[in-house]
Amino acid sequence: MSCVNDENFLAVALVINRSRDGPAFVFHYPSHVPALTNGHEKSDIIDVEDILFEQIAPPSGAENGPEPAEDGGVRDDHYTTEAGVQVVPWEHVAGFPARDLAYILTPARPYHKKIFQLSLDPLLCISYPIHVPENGKWKKTKKANKEVDDNIAPDEPNPPPTSKIDSNPEKAKDGKRDESDEDKRSSMTMFNLVFFLHPKRHEAKELVDSLFSNIVKKVNKAYQYSQQHSEFVWKESKRILAAKEKAREDEKKMSALWKELIQNSSLAASMCEVYNAISQNRIATLHLDTVDGILTPSVQIPVPFFVADLPAEDDERHRGLWLTTSNAFLSQDALEEPGFLDRNFALLLMDDEKKIIAELQNDRDPTTLSMIEFVRLAKPTVSFYQVGQSNILTLDQVRKYAQHFIFWRRAIAIPPLHPRDVYIVSPNCDLERLPQDAQDWQRAFPLAPPLSTFLAELSVLPRPYKHISPSKAHRPLYLRMLAWLMRGGWVTQLCTFAYVVVWPEILYEVDYEMEAEELGIATSSVDGGDATSIHTTQENADAQSTHSSLASPTQPQHPPQPPQQQQQQTPPDAHALSQSPSSYGPKPSTTLSAAEHSAEMARLERIAIKAHREAADKATAHARKTSPVPTPNPSLNDAPHLAGLTPHIILDPKKAAGKESRYLAAIARRFRDDKLRSGWQLLCKYFDGRCALERIALQEDMKRKEAWALLTGMREYLLLTRHW
Amino acid sequence: MILGIFYARFFPQEGPKIVAQSPPGCITASSSSSGNNNNSNNSNNSTHGNNNSSSSNNNSNSNSNNSPLVDFDVLQEYIIPRQAFCNRFISINSPDGKYTILGFPVVIPHTKYMRNEFIFNFGLLVDADCDQAPFESVVRCLAETFAEMEKQNEYLSLSEAKGPEDDSMRRPIESLLEIVKEDLNNYGECMIPVDEANIINMKLFPHHATPPVVKGWHVPVARTKFPEIVDPTWDITLQKVVAKIDGVSDVRRIAHEASVSLDLAKIAIRHLLYYDTILLLDIFFFSSCYAPRPGIHDFIRNVDGIVDECAGYVSHGRARVSNYLLIRFMASFSPGKSIKEWIMNHRDNGFELMSYIDIRRFVQFGVIKGCLYRVHKYVVSKQYLASLATGQSRPLAGGDPLQKYTDGCHHMDQIMTEQNLTNDQVMDRLKMLPVPRGDITVFYR
Repeated sequence: MSCVNDENFLAVALVINRSRDGPAFVFHYPSHVPALTNGHEKSDIIDVEDILFEQIAPPSGAENGPEPAEDGGVRDDHYTTEAGVQVVPWEHVAGFPARDLAYILTPARPYHKKIFQLSLDPLLCISYPIHVPENGKWKKTKKANKEVDDNIAPDEPNPPPTSKIDSNPEKAKDGKRDESDEDKRSSMTMFNLVFFLHPKRHEAKELVDSLFSNIVKKVNKAYQYSQQHSEFVWKESKRILAAKEKAREDEKKMSALWKELIQNSSLAASMCEVYNAISQNRIATLHLDTVDGILTPSVQIPVPFFVADLPAEDDERHRGLWLTTSNAFLSQDALEEPGFLDRNFALLLMDDEKKIIAELQNDRDPTTLSMIEFVRLAKPTVSFYQVGQSNILTLDQVRKYAQHFIFWRRAIAIPPLHPRDVYIVSPNCDLERLPQDAQDWQRAFPLAPPLSTFLAELSVLPRPYKHISPSKAHRPLYLRMLAWLMRGGWVTQLCTFAYVVVWPEILYEVDYEMEAEELGIATSSVDGGDATSIHTTQENADAQSTHSSLASPTQPQHPPQPPQQQQQQTPPDAHALSQSPSSYGPKPSTTLSAAEHSAEMARLERIAIKAHREAADKATAHARKTSPVPTPNPSLNDAPHLAGLTPHIILDPKKAAGKESRYLAAIARRFRDDKLRSGWQLLCKYFDGRCALERIALQEDMKRKEAWALLTGMREYLLLTRHW
Repeated sequence: MILGIFYARFFPQEGPKIVAQSPPGCITASSSSSGNNNNSNNSNNSTHGNNNSSSSNNNSNSNSNNSPLVDFDVLQEYIIPRQAFCNRFISINSPDGKYTILGFPVVIPHTKYMRNEFIFNFGLLVDADCDQAPFESVVRCLAETFAEMEKQNEYLSLSEAKGPEDDSMRRPIESLLEIVKEDLNNYGECMIPVDEANIINMKLFPHHATPPVVKGWHVPVARTKFPEIVDPTWDITLQKVVAKIDGVSDVRRIAHEASVSLDLAKIAIRHLLYYDTILLLDIFFFSSCYAPRPGIHDFIRNVDGIVDECAGYVSHGRARVSNYLLIRFMASFSPGKSIKEWIMNHRDNGFELMSYIDIRRFVQFGVIKGCLYRVHKYVVSKQYLASLATGQSRPLAGGDPLQKYTDGCHHMDQIMTEQNLTNDQVMDRLKMLPVPRGDITVFYR
């Protein structure tokens, strides 16, 4: 996220193009945009030759009066040059003549609704030009209106309607008559709200991206909407241009004119709001007073309220933010799962509850009553789902209000706080705030230990939060203190993440089992199935040992012969063995001659025998292996036959297939306790290193104690790691 | 990567025109380009039968059918803008957002020219998402060189006024542009004699972000093999400092051992940091504490063979430790557990870590790869905090040198390196501070 401030965001300006009169520079805010020198930041690339060059080629276009550098665009009053040319203060913006800017900032139609990014070193202009539709009419036909409605503020979850339309048909009619007269003379063919930036080199791209998608595009679209519905931009522009023309004749001071314009024109006022709010990273709420009613779209550059990993040491922007993976680790599956977010998150107000309620009470809107109720109910310890269970608000309402508060930066969503969870001092906390926050803490919780003592307490040895509070009676207070610390980014939850470990004993067991099954299939095809599907390892081993003793006559203790010898030996026996059913190869066709037939048969026999022998070999090898013996603690089993195996980690049990799923089943069989066995099936999916084990209880609607009892029972098969 | 390079001029009669471009047809279709410039191109190519122009000729034949990458009619007002915007670097994106045109329109006022001025622009066409910083200096250099040459001997205006036959000594601009483009794309630099007096010397310099400030307690770890790249022409201080970088010593110690002042050592190390040849870590102590961060999961999942890499880095020679064990060791760090305790825990479980792996390398590997972070120790004095918050009592002038560290913004490594004390010495001194009992607290973060 890029940080917008009044150093890298210099101004906003509205430029229009007209069919007959050509481009016009309508309005800019702030009124005084100083000319920038190619100063400090660029100096690294300007060498001596550049400086030489700059000296010899001054801009010659002096027709507009003073050199930009002379007044720097910061004059407030008019003056006349020696040549008798009146110099108007607002006709220079950022060191450029406004008239020239109007031309260069009204790009041709190919830029319609595209990013327009022009750098006039050191100034960077970005915008989203809007052209009149090809038919020359701004007004859209009725059916297209809806689409535009959605465009205007697509992600604004503002429960009160974004635009309150007090229709005023009479006024609108008057407007129309005026327009048609006007249109004959000149009409607006495009408008362009341009943002003047002065980014540092390394931040340019980020700044442009965040400003363009969050602000530039949206404000221009909002203007387009107002223009399509009531010719708002054109009408206001005409008024502003006329006022400027008059002020020019009257030699009115710029500050007075600007004050007037911002008071009288809601378009000018909206530009002022956009600049003032966005350059201070606040939410800009526009009031566009169109003839069809007031439009109140709002725009903002969303502020991050958390980081998933420790930012770099010198990253000032992310310091002090809440450190958590609760958002970053969410998988697509989890997001799609209905109710996942409701169960895993609670609302943490960023301000005092009473203060927020007081603010809400000032609003007469009927929805505020239930919103006040929501603020009272939604505690940081209670998940949205639980708030929804209260029967006072529906879950839908809860979601809607929560989004509303989060959008307006009055709250954030956090995993519900719980006294059994472990909280540590966040490695990302902003220690420079410590003196001030220590004081605020003392004021908020006069009887609590000082902040530094409390942080020391939390950080010395991570342990469940409840162990820090002196008694059960103190718990509610201590949870409020915890919420306070969360809000300031002082603490973060220490979560536990797990993976499944498959111990060598289990690995061996499953491998052994699978080998046995394979042999079972092979032998059944040869000598008519003494191997049925095997249920337990013990049975399996028994079956195999009997089988191998039966099979041994076919391949006695002879050492395995080299294949060539085998081939030479087999033909004579071919006929004798031809009775045994063969599953290899297609049946020989009847059209073959007898000789061919017997040759073919002999070949098939050889293959069959070879396969048989191999199977038998395997069986003997298998039989010689130690049969697996389950021990109560597979992790401690250091039997010699397991020596070559290292434990295997299953990374995602949800996706486990083949062998891994058999490992999971084999582990399940080890649990003596029925509850544990069924719990294993249920909880397995959380052992993917992304789900904090602390949140399983919430997700599965279990008691915490129960969930932890299950997890403790499974401890042996889990690889645990702990972080935020 | 330069996709196109061009020379544009403002003609009093026809308006802005592309006079020369490489590859041909990248800005305007070369076959359709009108009278004046078409003439000069063709005649240039035919008279100078050298390799360059003949190859460009071939190119132009093959490329002339291709449509230009951008629409010159739309972009011309940014290539030859109004005078108010001339003599400065200008860049504009194409409407489709694919390309950016970088240029530096130049106006040379003089009565000898028609309309009393000569306006031209040497520009580049690059991908919109490439880093434009290196090309900006190229554009500036071209503008400045040709402006100077025009002023000296009317290099640009003469080549059009007279026929090309008159100045057979010179390269045509089109082939010059092609060489510039090819050399910069292939070698990142170019050195092209334009005439007897002028040479275009350019190099693309990548733009790096400003590196963070180096502190005395940082431990630089080399990312490159310095002995292979250091040569005697390097700065002497830098050479001295580089020789002492061993992955263990902190900056203060390096400065001391290299007999270099601490400030110079910091600057030298920052310089290395700028070129991304070193990493900065913390000082390793067995008593300090490390904890996993989300990057630990990449280690557990052995992303890009990270565990195998680790095994190669930390193994003690006797036997390679299995991946599983390395993962288990790495995952078992925890806040509130020092390395000493971590070793003891594993010893209790029957693993004598020390005999299998190099603990310091193991921890540093975890820190470098983002699996672990150092949990620092801080000392805070409540009294001092309160005085800072209210601003009532200033810290005592000439008071204890340790007092300024007790505002929570300075970790123990800093106190130790700046005061040249050990952890225990610092703690003992803090106990001597004239403050009420229980005023000093220690916390970890």
